Amino acid sequence: MIKLLASLFIIGASVLLGNEYANNLVNRPRYIRFFKNALQILEAEIVYSQETIKESLHAVSNQIPEPLATLFQHIADDIQHDQDELYPIWEKHIHVFYRSNPIQVDDKEILLQFGRTLGQHDVIQQQKYIRLAINHLERTLKEADDKHHRYGKMARSVGVLIGIFIVLLLL
Amino acid sequence: MTLDTSVLFQIAGIGIIVAMIHTILKQMGKEEYAQFVSLIGFIIVLLFVLDSISDLFQQIRSVFFLQG
Repeated sequence: MIKLLASLFIIGASVLLGNEYANNLVNRPRYIRFFKNALQILEAEIVYSQETIKESLHAVSNQIPEPLATLFQHIADDIQHDQDELYPIWEKHIHVFYRSNPIQVDDKEILLQFGRTLGQHDVIQQQKYIRLAINHLERTLKEADDKHHRYGKMARSVGVLIGIFIVLLLL
Repeated sequence: MTLDTSVLFQIAGIGIIVAMIHTILKQMGKEEYAQFVSLIGFIIVLLFVLDSISDLFQQIRSVFFLQG
């Protein structure tokens, strides 16, 4: 009886792990798409409305879905008048976001790279940097989509099979 | 000589599961991992039957009076 229960626990755990991995594969392209949208909105706010960065970030956070909305909200809230650099704030919040969400190192690096240029240049240069970041995100998006299609289903079934395998080994 | 039959079923189960993992990995284009999983399965089964095989060799030696 206790053997059966333990086997069920082991299989359940490995199924959960497989599902978690598959969910990450599904969610990563979604988040990259959100980031792309956010950068496009930011571009419009900076180039056409000519707002300050704080107001632009607020505008972005109002127009995109969670959890990116809170990310941009936090960054905007952290900007104070007596500060002369935006990058430390940006870096801190991107790191926190990276730890609890299914984006990869590549995506994080692109965002950090972009953060380094934010607020350092005039409008035309800034627009170029935003375009560059969007292009880079496009590339990782393609890769993430590809991975999702190739390994999405595999992760789930391999999770179940490895659970059964471990139970058989311990039997 | 009585062999514990449950170990046979266990090995059969491991074989089936390893074959399934192999097929899935191969379908997804991860040939090298598929080969690796097969190898690991083989090694694990070998460890299971190691005692029996050593028994077998002892028997053969004793049949031909080679036991020291």
